[in-house]
Amino acid sequence: MSTKEPSEADILRPINTLTKKYFLVYGIAAIGLLAFIVAWGYQLQKGLVVTGLGDWGSGGGSTWGLYIGAFIWWVGVAHGGIILSAAVRLLGMDRYMPIARLAEMTTIGGLSAAGFYIIVHMGRPDRMVTSIIGHYHITVNNSPLVWDVTVITAYFVLSATYLGLTLRYDVNRLRDDLPDMFEPIYKIMTIGYTKREDEVIQRMVWWLAAAVIIMAPLLLHGGVIPWLFALLPAMPAWTGAIQGPMFLSIALMSAISGVIIISYGFRRAYDWDHIITDDIFRGLLLWLGFFTLLFLWFQLQAVFNGIFLGPLDKAHAAEAKIAHPLYRIAIGLIFASLVYIFAQGIRPALFSKKRALVVSCAVLMGTLTEKVLFVVEGFMDPHFNIYANTPGSYFPSAIEWLSLVGTTALVVLLFLNLSKLVPVVELHAIEHLRGEHEHSEEATEPEVEA
Amino acid sequence: MSTDDESFHPLGDEWEDELETMLDDTEYDSDLGMEMAQDAMRVTKGELSEAEFHEKHHEAVMEEFGEDERPTKEAYEAAQEEAKGTASRMLDAFDGDGGETRRETMKKMGVGAAAVGMGAFSSTRDGPMESLSAEGGHSETTEHSDTQWGMTIDLERCDGCLTCMTACTQENDLDAGVNWMYVMAWEDELHEGHEEGTDTGVYSSDFNMGSDFNMLVRPCQHCTDAPCEKVCPTTARHTRDKDGLVLTDYDVCIGCRYCQVACPYGVNYFQWDEPHTDYEDIPKAKDRDVDSPDEITHAQYEHGERWVDSRAPRGVMSKCTMCPSMQDGQQGDEKVGTSACETACPPNAIQFGNVKDEKSDPYQHREHPSKSRAVIRLSSEHTDSSGIPSPETIDGTLSSDDDIESALEKFENLDKETLSIMKAVELVSDRTEPGDEENNSILRKEQEVVAAVDAFEQYVDLETDAAITQLQLGDGSERQARFRIQQYTGKPNSFKLLEDVGTNPNVTYLGEQPGPEAEQVEGPTKYEDVGLVDKRQDLLDEETVGGIDGVSL
Ligand code: SF4
Ligand code: SF4
Repeated sequence: MSTKEPSEADILRPINTLTKKYFLVYGIAAIGLLAFIVAWGYQLQKGLVVTGLGDWGSGGGSTWGLYIGAFIWWVGVAHGGIILSAAVRLLGMDRYMPIARLAEMTTIGGLSAAGFYIIVHMGRPDRMVTSIIGHYHITVNNSPLVWDVTVITAYFVLSATYLGLTLRYDVNRLRDDLPDMFEPIYKIMTIGYTKREDEVIQRMVWWLAAAVIIMAPLLLHGGVIPWLFALLPAMPAWTGAIQGPMFLSIALMSAISGVIIISYGFRRAYDWDHIITDDIFRGLLLWLGFFTLLFLWFQLQAVFNGIFLGPLDKAHAAEAKIAHPLYRIAIGLIFASLVYIFAQGIRPALFSKKRALVVSCAVLMGTLTEKVLFVVEGFMDPHFNIYANTPGSYFPSAIEWLSLVGTTALVVLLFLNLSKLVPVVELHAIEHLRGEHEHSEEATEPEVEA
Repeated sequence: MSTDDESFHPLGDEWEDELETMLDDTEYDSDLGMEMAQDAMRVTKGELSEAEFHEKHHEAVMEEFGEDERPTKEAYEAAQEEAKGTASRMLDAFDGDGGETRRETMKKMGVGAAAVGMGAFSSTRDGPMESLSAEGGHSETTEHSDTQWGMTIDLERCDGCLTCMTACTQENDLDAGVNWMYVMAWEDELHEGHEEGTDTGVYSSDFNMGSDFNMLVRPCQHCTDAPCEKVCPTTARHTRDKDGLVLTDYDVCIGCRYCQVACPYGVNYFQWDEPHTDYEDIPKAKDRDVDSPDEITHAQYEHGERWVDSRAPRGVMSKCTMCPSMQDGQQGDEKVGTSACETACPPNAIQFGNVKDEKSDPYQHREHPSKSRAVIRLSSEHTDSSGIPSPETIDGTLSSDDDIESALEKFENLDKETLSIMKAVELVSDRTEPGDEENNSILRKEQEVVAAVDAFEQYVDLETDAAITQLQLGDGSERQARFRIQQYTGKPNSFKLLEDVGTNPNVTYLGEQPGPEAEQVEGPTKYEDVGLVDKRQDLLDEETVGGIDGVSL
């Protein structure tokens, strides 16, 4: 631990400083988002023909591609983020308190990006409201896509409430040091706040966290999202009960990696060595390793099930999967990350934050690649595999690639904006680090063993 | 377990009260509606049997609506259905002649039932949603219509000429590569394909059995349990209640393409860009006698029209529709019960019609493939036997001192084999009247054959041992006659495509079933040669922004 004493001034620093670097990052992100919005405008004008997508079957294309792959990836990041933060609150993992809010904001960012992808992916986004909401009472009984939209909306509301509630405490106490410019926003945020509510809010947040943890495997990334694919008999590459756990492990890997990268950024930008400590990075890395191990285990199950005496369709899908060079690269990246994480667990000298950063980027690349491939694989080896033009071809168009830049920029902008508005590290965390926090003595975080 | 004084609704009393107020607004007894909704809920939970449900509400319904077409108790108990199917069917039991009662009952129960999560009920109060929820289309809703359009396709008659594909493309103004109807040749380990260097490969008989091409004709299967419909987030993909067609509402579809993902047959084609035929040009394309494109593109529903036919507009999904504008009579009565592909197919390989009607062509062809084949062939102009003489012709031609040989000499087109098959058909025919439903041509033609044989037998006895022997009909028994027909037409297998997936398709095939490892091969006619595009991706790739040629994930 650092010798510096964490203070309110520390967590207020992002709000009260304005650096050239901030502007630079802001500018780049804005350009990225804008570029994609322009490209999307072109897509709206021309139709989805500007993508690399096509009809599976006699046409020899891929119905879904990068848009859907990136959509489930962002949803994964989001779901993983909220699970992370919920775990910190629920299990009293006070050590990670400084990054809990970052994880929650990641969730909001991830869900925004995912929501954006739903719209970008559709042929007639203008009908989103009339067609989906108008028939919701019928379709919610059948359509996994509607279940998806439902849980995503529910979790957006849940996460925003969660974040909003915990912010009231901070905003109220730090009000004097917050910029007057945003006064109306703070007023709304803290409407009706009294100190007596703190305890109630604590309890509410605890219950929200409990709901998130319980529902994560059942309804979130361990259930409804994979069901979008896993329930369809037409595509053997997708079916199977392992997809639930698989998706959940990917979500957690991606979220932890994302949080490591974001934490790294903030620590560097605002000298938070004593707040987001090395200890946090080490801990996160170990958790990342744990979920990576689970992921690799699930992959092994899925693939081996197909290639040993699979039914023909499943066997073809599994063979095609492991033969794919990109799949090998993705799994290779993830495996190498796992090796490093365990190695640094055994020999702490191998740890450095830069390396943690590299590993996180590698894992994110790996999971994104895996997701996009997963989506496309379905269309390449369908159950009804008679068409000469199947497996067809698909390569994302420039517009589709740009969507990754655009949504990443969207999330970066969200962080840049939020960081000027509210503290991204909780006041509770500072109090806890200073040993003032009432619960600090009962910190019961189970140490992760390598 | 819910008791009467407890709220039956998970959201509690308040919500229930609200529902009751809504029910009060409808013109009928709201207590009855509420009680029926409650009991329907109990049926879905298994607390009440369907028979009990009907027992309980029969009198009240009679009183309120004056009719109750309740099926027998046994019939109900036999059927163990999932909750929604159950609910829909229960309502149906109150169906009156014109479906009026059903609608009224739904109106009443709808409010309560929508809230208890039974989609099949949904709200049917007046409003824009009315048509959508009533036709809202889930697989089980087709159960109660006695029309289900479908096809029986004889793959051994298909010679791969692709005429049906071009006819469909023209009828629906489809873009290149949008092959709603798709015909392919295939081979697998058990079914060898055509070898280079041999002739066209199409055997000179009317049956493709000797051909070295195995064909597959693949329209949309208009599945009774259509996965495409199940997954649709908007109800754009729906089953039309009155005739079981699975259609896409082009005004509702959001273009998410989930239906294309879920359909195991790969029959969906998305409209990735602006269609090449303008909407206004749709009726002009052919000699159709309609005033506006709407008459071709909009199909009739219980509650008005929906845009479901012809090529899709940009950004929505399309697939084979089985020509609803024809089934609705928009293109003239003579086209009811036909489809563009059926009409176009030169060897009559496609039999379209109501697959639930025992007298329909697809039904007859499916249940009696060999006999139907023989009948189709005997009366088909496409074949060299070119029709059978009418009884009048026979009367005017034959005299009572003719024997088989001399009689046959008097007809140009009649040879001994044809007569033998005609007699065999007569022997196996149970002389079912074709009725006046649309598209019962197989039975009608069968009657012609039987009538011709009857007329023939006025002059020449075909039942003597000598005649039977001469006609190679064994001992003249029905069994031997059937065998004779099978010798002539073959005895095809019948199958449905991917039955294991549980879609309950409404297309039946006669002929060889492609195995799981079957692969499409080049067929007797090339797609390009008849102006079709096979690999649509090539066209789509031309429009891809910044795509890289030849690179694929
Ligand atoms: S074949 Fe069946 S699942 Fe496929 S589009 Fe047609 S009705 Fe839907
Ligand atoms: S593409 Fe249209 S018809 Fe198909 S599932 Fe989506 S909304 Fe329904």
